[in-house]
Amino acid sequence: MASRRRMLLKVIILGDSGVGKTSLMNQYVNRKFSNQYKATIGADFLTKEVQFEDRLFTLQIWDTAGQERFQSLGVAFYRGADCCVLVYDVNVMKSFDNLNNWREEFLIQASPSDPENFPFVVLGNKIDVDSGNSRVVSEKKARAWCASKGNIPYFETSAKEGFNVDAAFQCIAKNALKNEPEEEL
Amino acid sequence: MISDGIEDEEKWLAAAIAGLQQNAFYMHRALDSNNLRDALKYSAQMLSELRTSRLSPHKYYELYMRAFDELRKLEMFFKEEARRGCSIIDLYELVQHAGNILPRLYLLCTVGSVYIKSKEAPAKDILKDLVEMCRGIQHPVRGLFLRSYLSQISRDKLPDIGSEYEGDADTVMDAVEFVLQNFTEMNKLWVRMQYQGPSREKERREKERSELRDLVGKNLHVLSQVEGVDLDMYRDTVLPRVLEQVVNCKDDLAQYYLMDCIIQVFPDEYHLQTLETLLGACPLLQPSVDIKTVLSRLMERLSNYAASSAEVLPEFLQVEAFAKLNNAIGKVIEAQVDMPIAGAVTLYSSLLTFTLHVHPDRLDYVDQILGACVKKLSGKGKLDDSKATKQIVALLSAPLEKYNDIETVLKLSNYPCAMEHLDNGTNKVMAGVIIESIMKNRTRISTADKVEALFELIKGLIKDLDVDLHDEVDEEDFKEEQNSVARLIQMLYNDDPEEMLKIVCTVRKHILAGGPKRLPFTVPPLIFNALKLVRRLQGQEENAAGKEGVATPKKIFQLLNQTIEALAIVPVPELSLRLYLECAEAANDSDLEPVAYEFFTQAYILYEEEISDSRAQVTAIHLIIGTLQRMHVFGVENRDTLTHKATGYSAKLLKKPDQCRAVYACSHLFWVDDNDNIKDGERVLLCLKRALRIANAAQQMATAARGSSKLVVLFIEILSKYLYFFEKGNSEITVAAIQGLIELITTEMQSDNMTSDPAADAFLASTLRYIQFQKQKGGAMGEKYEPIKA
Ligand SMILES: Nc1nc2c(ncn2[C@@H]2O[C@H](COP(=O)(O)OP(=O)(O)O)[C@@H](O)[C@H]2O)c(=O)[nH]1
Ligand SMILES: [Mg+2]
Repeated sequence: MASRRRMLLKVIILGDSGVGKTSLMNQYVNRKFSNQYKATIGADFLTKEVQFEDRLFTLQIWDTAGQERFQSLGVAFYRGADCCVLVYDVNVMKSFDNLNNWREEFLIQASPSDPENFPFVVLGNKIDVDSGNSRVVSEKKARAWCASKGNIPYFETSAKEGFNVDAAFQCIAKNALKNEPEEEL
Repeated sequence: MISDGIEDEEKWLAAAIAGLQQNAFYMHRALDSNNLRDALKYSAQMLSELRTSRLSPHKYYELYMRAFDELRKLEMFFKEEARRGCSIIDLYELVQHAGNILPRLYLLCTVGSVYIKSKEAPAKDILKDLVEMCRGIQHPVRGLFLRSYLSQISRDKLPDIGSEYEGDADTVMDAVEFVLQNFTEMNKLWVRMQYQGPSREKERREKERSELRDLVGKNLHVLSQVEGVDLDMYRDTVLPRVLEQVVNCKDDLAQYYLMDCIIQVFPDEYHLQTLETLLGACPLLQPSVDIKTVLSRLMERLSNYAASSAEVLPEFLQVEAFAKLNNAIGKVIEAQVDMPIAGAVTLYSSLLTFTLHVHPDRLDYVDQILGACVKKLSGKGKLDDSKATKQIVALLSAPLEKYNDIETVLKLSNYPCAMEHLDNGTNKVMAGVIIESIMKNRTRISTADKVEALFELIKGLIKDLDVDLHDEVDEEDFKEEQNSVARLIQMLYNDDPEEMLKIVCTVRKHILAGGPKRLPFTVPPLIFNALKLVRRLQGQEENAAGKEGVATPKKIFQLLNQTIEALAIVPVPELSLRLYLECAEAANDSDLEPVAYEFFTQAYILYEEEISDSRAQVTAIHLIIGTLQRMHVFGVENRDTLTHKATGYSAKLLKKPDQCRAVYACSHLFWVDDNDNIKDGERVLLCLKRALRIANAAQQMATAARGSSKLVVLFIEILSKYLYFFEKGNSEITVAAIQGLIELITTEMQSDNMTSDPAADAFLASTLRYIQFQKQKGGAMGEKYEPIKA
């Protein structure tokens, strides 16, 4: 039974609306990207099989709305997450400032048994925009924040160009796998 | 009562979870031992917990998520079973034996998911089967969650273009049909909820319905993610079908939410190409639907899209987006007679933002929108509705921000009319925003007409709008306001002196109406700006004098004289005096002796009649002396008169030390370095001697009144003056006189009744060092100093 449980890894992607959560998931799972902006409603997941140390896992990736008005049922789906991905847009300061809120909100709502060591991964997305000229959050600043929150792994990505997306999700899967499964009460 | 309800709910949820976990435990055991029958039995029992009607949607969702997680394990098991050779078709049959319908349908969907994946039957058939069978659940909450489960497990198995489930038999149309059908059914369940149960629970029901909304909206998100839903399919099938459902359900909550969803989940390009259809649905919605928010969001979205890249703008023009939106808004406002003013203004403000993004060159559109808004506001006077006010501010600020140029904004004929509707306080704030924009962009307001229009626009800051209404104004705010007006006045400029003079006159006309509180802020910058113009005219022939409209210094000075006079009602004599002296100096530079004399006379009158405070007198007299010293335009007679008076004022100051200092300062009036006509050594000496006498008298008075050593400084100061004129070659200043003065000071400082004053000591020491230094320098100066013994 434990083995079956461990074959499924649950990942939650959080971040302000528009930072590219849906695009990252689509790029990773379907290798597709669209320039069009389509808001996400409620929570939605896609799955992807990943090979890890000769074993096959199913990654269940939950994409979220990021806008309160499209998250009317609350966040019960956080439960049982193995890893939480925090995404911001390197061109939008506010989206970076909000990472802390997302992280805290997740810890409160998902209440993992060992919040100190719960695996997060931070992605700074849209680094392709304007060849990086419109960037407002430096890599250094982002890394400093990650370091201050218990050395959260950090990736700079472009969902549009598929840059670093696989590497990021590889790391996400690895960290999810490390997370001890919650014992049921 | 209510808290009981919540507590009960917690209990029910806990019980349901316990039941679910217990059955899940047995289900896991069955899965581990590959016992299909038990797995089905316990999973069905586990799913029975979802049959509850006692939980609110939030709590039900918690329970659902737990079941959902368990079902993933079951699904994996089914997959393994299929891989081990178990017929998936048989499995699909088998789960239908579950006794209870809700668990049965969950199980069916779960197997269905594996079934589709196995590709043993066309996806569309299985999907159709499932979506039909779900009709078996008509309880709204249970039905909605079940269908959302179906939506979730089928999400990656739709026969979309390019998907592995697409084939000859399965097309994207089937995918769309499936989602649309599920959407329609879910919306019906959701709307029906409104009519179930007693009417006293209406409020709670609405809250619960609102919580459930994303389950319904989610279908639209799924549709938007279907690759095969291209513009054609969206326009011809998806949008009409969705709108049909939205309109026909006649439920305001659903209509409002789903319109918002449509706008947010589908891409901008689609909206542009189907604007008419989308906007056409608006008047068909229930009157209670907040259409203005829906439309505002649509326009906001499209505005952002327009702002994203110039390349997309042709799309907007091609579909005549402005006309369509403008039209739709007009209709909505007309139809909804009860719409609050704030709502209407919000709509106009959104449309304006849209227009500024899409048609920045169409000022006529902008004015048209403002005009429509003004029309809507007509007869309403000043608004006291803060929401509406805020929206008007947004409406008025948008063009400023866009054009960064007040001149463009001044062309909008309806702009000032819209501003009229702001209450006095907000009107001022808005005027402040306008000035700020001018400052930030360093906009040159360069014609009198524009200045006129601008001052009309910001009149809230220029004069009291309501004479009867004495609002409590914060002093600080008032100062800040008036300072910004002052900065604005300072900035007005035109190269052409004639136009500039007109500007000065225009400003003058406006500010003179500002009342005694504002004049001290607004008059000085006007004077200084006008004096800048005078300086530009310097050296130009006066031959134009007399001609109408021609700027001459004389004419300007006349105007300024009258302007300063206006300050008399405040009154601020010190400021007025300062301004007269500034003008006098400028007149001096323009070689206008009578004018300069007139200004001095005005300053003197003020000094004599209005300035009574002794500190103010001291400041004023030094200003007078300083200015007079720099005047070169005066003939002997005028100069004598003015100098005589200045010396007289000096000697009449209240305090002896002040008298002394003013009098020795007057010595400079008789000896001007670069003017050979003014080198009257005798009168210089007279001044200094007089200063000495006053210092003596002061000293004696002080000694009589228990000695103050501070006064010895006066002597040292006078000594400095002696040395100054000595060096300048004033032959009246003799070595003997200097020597005498030094001795006098030294004796004074050594006398017994003197407490020592370190400042005076240092001053004297450095003066003596200076003498020493000059001596050692040699040359003519050294020789001159030689006889002095220090
Ligand atoms: N240039 C660029 N655009 C991106 C990138 N990721 C997402 N976008 C765009 O940003 C918008 C929002 O993306 P989306 O994934 O919907 O954001 P979400 O709200 O966080 O799910 C869409 O228009 C995407 O095309 C990226 O890496 N580079
Ligand atoms: Mg999204």
